[in-house]
Formats: sequence, C-alpha cells, structure tokens
Amino acid sequence: MTYLLEARGLTRRFGGVVALDNLDLAVVPNEIIGLIGPNGSGKTTFFNVVTGIYGAHGGSVTFEGADITRAPSRAIYNAGVSRTFQRSRLSLPLSIFDNIMIGNHKRLNQGLWFNLVRRGQFKREFEVNYVAARTLIEVFEPQLAERMLEPVAGLPMIDRRRIEICRALISQPKLLLLDEPSAGMTHDETKELMDDILQVRDLNRNLTIVIVEHEMGLIERITDRCVVLNFGRKIAEGPYRQVAVDRQVQEAYLGVE
Amino acid sequence: MDVGLLSQYIMNGLMLGMMYTLVAVGFTLFFGVLDIIKFSHGDVLTVGAFTGLATYIGLRSVGVSSTPLLLLAVLVVSILAMAALGMLIARYLVLPLRSAPALNTLLITLMLGTVLREMVRLFYPQGANPKPFPALLPTDSINLGQFNLRLDNAMMLATGVAIIVGLRLLLNRTKLGLAIRAVAQDEETARTMGINFTAVVLITFAIGSALAAIGGVMNGLYYNEINFGMGLLLGVIGFSAAIIGGLGSIYGAILGGFLFAALQTLGAVALPFASAYKDVFAFTVVIALMAWRPTGLIQEKISERV
Amino acid sequence: MPEVMQEPQAPVLPGVVAVAFSTAYLIALLAVEMQPLVIGLLAFGIVAVLAAHYMDWLDPVSRSFAEREGVLSAYAILAACVVAAFFHDNHFVLLLFVTVLLYAVATLGLNIEFGYAGVLNFAGASFFGIGAYTSAVLNTYTAVPHLLVLLIGGTLAALIGSLLLLPVLRTRGHYAALVTIAFALLLKTFLEVNDVLGGPQGMQVKGMSILGWSFNDNFEIGKIEMSFYLNYFVTSMLLLCTTFVLVRRLERSWIGLNLDAIRLDETAASCFGLDIARWKITAFVLGNFVIGLAGALFGMVGGFVAPNNYTFADSLIMVSILLLGGIGNPWGVVVATFIVLVLPEKLQTIQEYRFLLYALIVIVVLLFRPEGLLPRPVRRYFPRGRA
Repeated sequence: MTYLLEARGLTRRFGGVVALDNLDLAVVPNEIIGLIGPNGSGKTTFFNVVTGIYGAHGGSVTFEGADITRAPSRAIYNAGVSRTFQRSRLSLPLSIFDNIMIGNHKRLNQGLWFNLVRRGQFKREFEVNYVAARTLIEVFEPQLAERMLEPVAGLPMIDRRRIEICRALISQPKLLLLDEPSAGMTHDETKELMDDILQVRDLNRNLTIVIVEHEMGLIERITDRCVVLNFGRKIAEGPYRQVAVDRQVQEAYLGVE
Repeated sequence: MDVGLLSQYIMNGLMLGMMYTLVAVGFTLFFGVLDIIKFSHGDVLTVGAFTGLATYIGLRSVGVSSTPLLLLAVLVVSILAMAALGMLIARYLVLPLRSAPALNTLLITLMLGTVLREMVRLFYPQGANPKPFPALLPTDSINLGQFNLRLDNAMMLATGVAIIVGLRLLLNRTKLGLAIRAVAQDEETARTMGINFTAVVLITFAIGSALAAIGGVMNGLYYNEINFGMGLLLGVIGFSAAIIGGLGSIYGAILGGFLFAALQTLGAVALPFASAYKDVFAFTVVIALMAWRPTGLIQEKISERV
Repeated sequence: MPEVMQEPQAPVLPGVVAVAFSTAYLIALLAVEMQPLVIGLLAFGIVAVLAAHYMDWLDPVSRSFAEREGVLSAYAILAACVVAAFFHDNHFVLLLFVTVLLYAVATLGLNIEFGYAGVLNFAGASFFGIGAYTSAVLNTYTAVPHLLVLLIGGTLAALIGSLLLLPVLRTRGHYAALVTIAFALLLKTFLEVNDVLGGPQGMQVKGMSILGWSFNDNFEIGKIEMSFYLNYFVTSMLLLCTTFVLVRRLERSWIGLNLDAIRLDETAASCFGLDIARWKITAFVLGNFVIGLAGALFGMVGGFVAPNNYTFADSLIMVSILLLGGIGNPWGVVVATFIVLVLPEKLQTIQEYRFLLYALIVIVVLLFRPEGLLPRPVRRYFPRGRA
C-alpha cells in the first residue's frame, strides 16, 4: 500500500533540544489519524517540518511518493497539503471572505493582466469563488455566511477556528493537518466543530486528516488510529483504545512512579 | 605603502570600528530586549554630543578651565542626560506600542530621530552649521618608529575597550545583566519569575543611550567637530553593523562594527580619487553579506513562535 | 443558488456636498495671501471638521465614498478642474497644485509597496529624484520624445529599486528599511559629487513638449491668458487618475489580497502557496515605476533638479503623508498630500519647521490614531453589488 505521507528517520534540532528524533510516521490515504503526546513532544514541530517552515536535520518526508523534505512551503501547498495553526493565524483586519480566499491561492488566476485589466472575467471568477466560500462556511456556521465581508478581528475564537479550517479546506487539499483545533473552546463547541469536520469529510471522501489534539474524547471519537509522540519519537501506534492503555504512553503523560 | 601610512590607516580604522561598535551595541541591546529597532539611536548620539558641547561652553563661560574636569563634566552630563532621554523614549513612545505591529515602533522611532535632529538644527544656536568640538584629551603623541601614536586616540580606544568589557561583565556577571538576558530570551517567563519587565526595559534603554552619548563625545573628540546630521549616517552604519554581526549578540555588534570600519578603510585605500565612494563600497559589501547570511554572521535571535 | 443581496445604496449627496465644500475651501485657502487670514481659515477648517465629526456627518460621507466611488471620483475630477480654471493665470498656485498632484501619484506608488505589500521603502523621494534626473539628462543630451522619457524614468526607478531589494527579499522588514535609508543617504552624496549630473547645483530640465506643442509657453483661449502650467495640470491629472484606478483595481483583486496576506503574516501566506519574493518584487516594481514616472514629469514641470530636493527627509515626508492620510487608503493619500504640501506654502512661518512638525504629527498619529485620517475600509471587490 502506498502511503500518502511518509516520514522516515525525521530529525530536527533547535540548539541543544532535539524536537524530532528519528521519527517514522506513515499516513494512509483517506484515514483520520490522531497525533498525540505530552507538551513539547514534537507534534507541532512535525507539522512545521512537513509544511516546510523548518528544514529537517536528518531523514526524509515524502508526499504521494515525491520527496518534499527540502521543498518550500508553497510547493507543499500546491501538492495538496493544507493546515491550520496552533496559535490561530488569521489576518485580523481582513474579512472572512478574504481570509478564506488566501487558502485558495492555487485555484485563482494570479495574472496581472487578468486582475487589473480583464475585470469582467475577474468578476466572474470572483462570484464563483464567493459562492464556494459561502457554501463552505455554511457547513460550519450559517450565520457567518451572512457576514462574509466583516473583518475577522471582532469574532470569537470558535468562529475564527472555523474560518481557519475553511481556509485550509477551500483549495480541496488531499491532506489536512489540524493543529489543536479545539484549543480555547468549550466541550460543546468542540463536539460541534468535529461534527462539521466529519461532515466535510463525508462530502469529500478523498480527504486525509492528521489531527493534533489534547482532548482525548475527541480523538477517541473521530480518529481511525493514533500515533503517540514523546521527546520527538514515536512511542506507540494504533487505535485509541489500544494506545490509551499502553504502559509507555501512560508514563509519558503521567510520569513514572 | 610605507609602514607609517599603513599604521595611520589602521589606527583610523580602529577608531571608526570602536565608534561603530558603540552604536551597534545599542541597537543590539534594544533589539535583544524588546525585539524592536530603535531608529532614533544615531540621533541620540548627536544630542549627546551637543549636550557635551553645551556643557563645555557653559562651564568655560563660568571660568572652569581645568581640562580633565571639563572632560569629566562633559562625559557625565551627556551620559546622564542621554540615559534620562532613553528612559523617557522607552516609557512614552516604545512601551505604549508594545501591542501594535512592530512596524509602528520602527516608524515612531524613525520620526523621533527626525524630531531630535531637527530640534538640534533649529534650536541650538546656529545648529545648521558644524560646530567645533574642543580637544579635551592630551594631544601629544608617542613616537614608535615610523608611526606616531596619538595619545588621545590611544586613550579613546582604551576607553572603548573598557566599556565593551564592562558591558559584557555587566551582562554576564551581575543580577541586572541576568535580568536583561532573561527578558531578552523570553519576556513572559522572565515576568513570571518576578523580574520587573518595565524596569529592565528602562534600564536597558538607559544603558544603550549612555553608550550613544559616549559615542557622540568620542566622535567630537576625534573629529574636533560635530554637526546635527552626524548621527544619521552613524546610526545607519551602526544598525547595519549590528545586523551583519547578528542582531541580539554583543559579539556580533563588535564584529560588525569593526568589519564595517575595515571595509570603509579598504574602500578609501582602493578608491583614493573619490572618498565619498568608500561608503558606497562598504554598504554594497554589507548588503551582499546580508543577502548571503540574513541572520548575521553570528546567529540572530529568532523570536517568532510558529 | 443563493439570493443576490439587495442592499439600498448609499446616497451620493453627502459625498457631493463634501467635495463641494472642500473645493470651495481649497480655492479660498490657495487664494488668500495674508498670514492672519490664512491662520483664520485654517482654524475654521479644523473647527468645521471637528463639528462634522461630532454631528455624525462624517460617517455618511465615508459610506457615500465607499459605495458610490465612481460617481464621486468624477465630481472630484470636475472639482479639480474648477480649481485650476479659477487660478488659470496664477503661475504660483498652479505650480503648487501640480506639485501636489504629482506627489500624490508618487505616494500612491509608495502605498503599493508600503501600505499593501508591507515592503518598507524609506527612499521614496530618492526614486522620485531618479525619475526627475532622468528627465534632466535625457532632455538635455538626447532627443528622446518626452512621453518616452517619462516611461524611462519610471523604468529606471523600478530597476534600481529591484537591485536594491533583491538581496534583502528573504529577510525581515527592518532590512529593507535599512537598505533604503542607506540608499537615500548615499544617493544624495553621489549626486552631489558628480559634476556630470550638475553637482550640488543640479541641472536644468527642458520643459515638456509633445508633437510640437511646447508645454512651457503660455497660451490663450479666446482672449483669456492661460498659464503654461495648465498644460502640466492636464497631464498630471491624467496621471493621477490612471494611477488611482490602477491602485484601486490592484487592491480589489487577488493580487491585492496576496499583498495583504504577505504584509500581515508571511509564514502563513507561504503555507498557502504564496511566493513571497515574487509578490514583494511585483509590488516594489509597480510602486517604484509609478514614483519614477511622477518624478520624471515633476522634473519637467519644475524646470530644474537638484540633490537637495530629494533627500532622506523628503522621503520621510512621503511616509508621513501615507501615515497621516490613512495607510492603504488612496483617498487618504490624496487628502493628506494636499494638507502636507499646501500648509507650509501658505503658512510661511512653518516652512522652516516642516520636517519637525510632520515628524511630531506622525508620532501623535501613531500613538493615538494609527489608522490615520481616513482609515482603510475592509476590502469590497465590487462595491456596488453584494460584495
């Protein structure tokens, strides 16, 4: 079976700290994987190396068979990898629509002539994409769909997370990396968010998701299997119920007696 | 080239390097502690120089004529005045903009630099003209074979070295220095450890501005002349020196300062027909270095958390 | 198919009233000579704006402009023509007016770099000067047609700007700041030591002439004497309108969105496919081209170029205009250019203090109202429709 994403012996250091230590991790197409582990275990660093924000000091990452270890972030996006950020990174002064469209870069015509001169054609492309963005955000929160041109700055955290996820989904990526999507949200809000993500996944069976989370209930409910990291290494792998009772995993989270 | 001329160039290069380093260290301190670029630093140097000059003129007019005393007074007054100015800048212009985009702080300090510069030009008596700066250091020189070592240059160099060493000691061996380094590393953690963030910032600005004052006086003593625009180019040079050395690192500032001076001297030697081009030469090399090593020759502090 | 949202459109009237008042005020301000009258007029202006603010009249005006921009732009152009016609034989006022128009064009170019892409350019006046010197050199030594000279001026500014920016493209903002400041300082010295370019005295620039029509001769319509500056007024207005439309369309397009994304968060932008270097260079080339073109025309208008007119301090004035007017808002740029350039001309006492004054104003703006006089509104791609 070919993996969609495969990391082999992936290593990344920050000064004296080894954030990723010879990590092997493989993602199968169409599955939902949970990436869990105590704070500082390298989960976000893994995302950052995969998406090209940091380089790797050792090992490799391949996507759909192609080596992306040294690829720039934008090439990785063009290949079909999209993400959200742990610390919500939206452009606050811009509108909801603008923020979502930033994620749509590869499907928009970026030519100078098109944008500045062929305004009629541009208008048509705009309207198509306006509808697409609206339809997408409606899945998550119909009220936001009525406020597409409002700046994001005034919105509560849960709405911002929704918009961030839409930004990641609008380009119809093959692989979606979610970094702690439920951070800052209540239990009910988290449940709602996950239902919406599953709904999107049902509409697009071609989507593979890797989700970093601390809320174990969520992980248990929606993931097919989990990978547990500690100190940059994989210490367990398997369905949630299995890793939850793994001795090493418990030690990692709770410490050794 | 004869040894005498060569040593002349070297001496000149060393002096320049020292002055640039003093400015560069200021930039690096501000960036290290607050992640900001204080573009008014060069102009604080100018104000320091003019404060020193005003002190001198004032004291002379009331009859003080002892040179060591005058020198001491000039230094003390300009250091204290600039330290106070630095703290005011930090308190009222920089700290309030902590939560605004970094660009705003850059812009506000740039504008402040203009305010300082223009105020000297407009309000100091005939500020638009260059002003003679008194020679307050002994002007004898020691003869070393083909080379004349001027005592005043030697003293200034020694002072510069002492200051840098002193600063390093301050940062590495004192509680204050520890506090400064802690804040530079991670503001939030430093605060939770009980460090008074505001106090550290104010003190850092005071130190940096005091260094600028010394640099300004030194500049005046070396060239025997000061003018309202002196800080502008010095500031730009000091800033680029801090960058190529690696923003946030004292060693980087020293390296950058002397590197820039060396480049300028090289340029002056290589292009004797147009001394104005030595700056173009030096800057071109520096910009090329920036392109090659954007984070500086010694690693720039990376502060962004992804 | 979602319904098209039909919102009632904002009325044009508030905008038209604002334009009419501003025109009348401007004519009065430009016409008045005696200092006490000028001061009185300025005080009146400030009071009027504050009153309008407190009576909530400014909001309808800005909505008017936001949604009926096309119509109001036409009125604004008409207003400018009215002002020009009023002073049709007054060389001094027309020269000032044309200077304002051309500086507005240049600052719009700066806005693309600074306000949209977030590329710090503190050498705006230097690039303006490069355009002006291009006119000087080409008009004096060659027979290149003058319209082509303008384009060459713009191209040269764009080229030199790119050379300057390329090394620091992949670094953080303050590098571009440093590089452009160094350039601004060094260019002035360069111009002063080069006698070929006239040294500190500068060079004369031959006035524009197109197809035999010399721009530097007064002319008559009917029996009325017209200042030759009217020729330049027409050209400058054309340039301003074209630039304004360009900037507007740029902002209201995917490219404008890219620039904003880069300015606000480079890391996230590159994770969504943006080639940061490409867009920064695009913005810089476009912006500098506009600045250089305006400068080339300005050289011909003024009749001479000198290093002292294009210093770092002048670049800071351009940045001040941008910040005061409202960064990213082209209307803000136009309004602020008028304020910043006309005030020192009318209030002779502050001429000497203008660098100090504007630096202080910008400090106040940054502390208390960083969005400027006319804040940039949220992007609306097609204001008259639902979006």
